[in-house]
Amino acid sequence: MEINPFEYLMDPHRRIYWLFLLSSLMIAFVFLKFHPEQKRIVLSKKLWLHPSSLLDYSYFIFSILFRVMIILPVIISAKEVALFVNIVLLNQYGFVRIETFSYTQVMVLFTFILFILSDFTRYWLHRLLHFVPWLWVFHKVHHSAKVLNPLTFYRVHPIEFLLFGFRYSLSIGFVTGVFVFLFGSLVSIYDILGVNLFVFIFSLLGSNLRHSHIKLGFGNVIELFLISPLQHQIHHSKNHMNTNFGGFLSIWDYLFGTLILSNNITKIKFGLERTQMRNFKSLKDLLLFPFIVIYKQIKK
Amino acid sequence: MRYLVVIILFVSIVVNAVGEKFFNQVIIVNIMLAIKNVELLIDDINQSNSTRIKMQFGNLVSSWKKVETTYLLGDLNEDYLDIPRYIDIFHGNNEDIKPQLDLIINSNDELFNAMYKYSHKTINALEYILFTKDLFHPRVKNMALIIAKSIKNYLLEILDGYKMYQSKFLESEQYASAILLNTLIAGTYKLKEWRVGDVAGLSKKFKNKPNNYRAEYATSGNSVNAIKAILETQVQVINSPDYQDFGDISRQFKARKEIDQAISALNDSIANANNMSEFDFINDKGKLLYQSTNRLMKAYYISLMDKLGFVSKVLDADGD
Repeated sequence: MEINPFEYLMDPHRRIYWLFLLSSLMIAFVFLKFHPEQKRIVLSKKLWLHPSSLLDYSYFIFSILFRVMIILPVIISAKEVALFVNIVLLNQYGFVRIETFSYTQVMVLFTFILFILSDFTRYWLHRLLHFVPWLWVFHKVHHSAKVLNPLTFYRVHPIEFLLFGFRYSLSIGFVTGVFVFLFGSLVSIYDILGVNLFVFIFSLLGSNLRHSHIKLGFGNVIELFLISPLQHQIHHSKNHMNTNFGGFLSIWDYLFGTLILSNNITKIKFGLERTQMRNFKSLKDLLLFPFIVIYKQIKK
Repeated sequence: MRYLVVIILFVSIVVNAVGEKFFNQVIIVNIMLAIKNVELLIDDINQSNSTRIKMQFGNLVSSWKKVETTYLLGDLNEDYLDIPRYIDIFHGNNEDIKPQLDLIINSNDELFNAMYKYSHKTINALEYILFTKDLFHPRVKNMALIIAKSIKNYLLEILDGYKMYQSKFLESEQYASAILLNTLIAGTYKLKEWRVGDVAGLSKKFKNKPNNYRAEYATSGNSVNAIKAILETQVQVINSPDYQDFGDISRQFKARKEIDQAISALNDSIANANNMSEFDFINDKGKLLYQSTNRLMKAYYISLMDKLGFVSKVLDADGD
C-alpha cells in the first residue's frame, strides 16, 4: 500500500485523481467565464493560503500515513465479506445458479446495484454522523473547515475513516456475495480504469468542486436526482448542516426529507459556530479533540 | 458519446481467458473420448461380454464426468443447457427409476414406447440394467443398447455443438474465462456436497446420516472413479503444463497465491480420492475428501472475488 501522496493523483479510485481534478478545473474555468464576479474569491491567495486550507494540506499528508499504518490493517476487506455472505447462502440454500440472465444483463445489473447501494449506505452513514451525538463529535472535524478546497475532502477523523471503510466493505461485500451466489463468475462490472462506470462518470462531473467556492448549481430539476457542488457547499454551511447528505445522488435526501435545492439558499458561511471553531485549529486538535470531548462526556 | 463507449469497451476488456489449445486439447478431446467409450460399450453389449461391459462402463463414467466437469455448451447456447440432464440424472431427478425399469423389463410393451422418459435412457438407468440384470435376456440387452445409443447420440450432439460454437467461446476471452470458472465452481460444489457430503453424512441435508449407497454410482462401484475423473479434469483446467491454462492466467493477473491455494487443495483432494475405496465415504477418508474439496471450492470463490479487483479496495473517506 502506497504512502506516497502523489499516488493519490495517479489512482482513479481517489477523489483527487488527476483526471477528476482536471475535469473539475475545466468546469470551473467555464463557470467562471460566465460568473466573473466569483473569480476574486476563487483565485484569491487568501483562500488557498488560509490557515484552514494550510491545515487541510498538512492533515492530508498525515491522513495518508494513518490510513496505511493504522486503518487498513484493521478493516475487514469487502472480499472477506463477500466470501462470508456467499458461503452462508450456500450453506443455507444450497447451490443456486440463475441462468436466465445473459452475461451483459448480469454486468449491467451488478454495476447499477453496486452504485445505488453504495450511495445509499453513504447517505445513511453520513446522516448518522450528524445525528448520533458521539459520531457528530468526530464528524465535526470535517465541518471545521472555514474555507473549502479539494483536500478538505480528506479532513476526516480516523474514526470516520474506519466507519466508511467498514461501510464500503459491508455494502460492497454483501452485494458481491449475493451476486456471486446467484450468478457465479458471470459477475463483473462495467468499469473505467477499474472504477465503477457510474462512479467514474459522476466523479468526472466536477466532484472536486463540492469542496470549493465555485457556486455551481444544477437547477431545481436535476438537483432532485444529483447533488450539485453548490448543494454540498450548502451542507457545509453553518445554518444548513443537517441537509444534503447525499454522495452522488440527491434522491435519498429527497426521499428522506433532508434535501435543500441550491436556488433556495443565498447566504453560505462555512465552518462551525465561532466557539467551536477554536477547538480545531491544529493537526493535534483535529485528531485529539473528539477523544477529549468523549472522555469528558463519559466522566460526567 | 461514441468515443466514450469505445473507451469504456476498451478498458473493460481484460484478456484473461483460456484459448484455442485448451478448447481442442481438453474440451474436444474429452468429448471424443466419451464417444469412443460409449461406442466400445455398445460393441461389448452386442457381444454380451459381461466382464468387458463392466470395465467399459467404468471408462464411460470416467469420460462422461470429464465432459460434464467442463460442460460450457449450455452457456454458449441455451438449447444445449439440458443435455447433461438427459445423460445423467444424479441429484437432478426425484423419481426412482429402478421400479420403472423393472416394470418395463417385465412388460410386453414395445421398448420404444415403454422407455419414453429421458430418465429411462440415462447413464444411471444403464448402470442399473448392466449391473443388476441378466444381459442374456434379449429385452434387457435391447434396453441396454437403446440407452447406450441414446447416450451416444447426446454425446455426438455435444461434439457438434462445441464445433459450432467454438468461435463464440474463443471470441470473448473474458466471457470464456467467466463461464469456465462458473463451471468449475458449480462442479466443485456438487462434488463436495452431493458426491461426498451427502454420502458421508456431512452435508446439511444428510447431517450425521452417512450412507455409502447414496453415492453417485453405488450400484457399479464407480463413485470414486467418477470423483477422480472430475478432479483430473480440474487439473487439466488449472494446472496443465501443455498449454496456457486458467492457473497460468491467474498468475499473470497477480492471483498467484489464490491459484496456488486452489492447486494445493486440488492435489490434496486427488490424493484423498486415490486413497479411498467405494466403502470409505462414511469413515475418516470420506471426511478428509470432503474437507479438501471444501477448501478447493473456497479457493475458487476467492479467485473469483479477486477477479473482481474492486472488492479488495478500500476507498477514500467517501462520506463527504
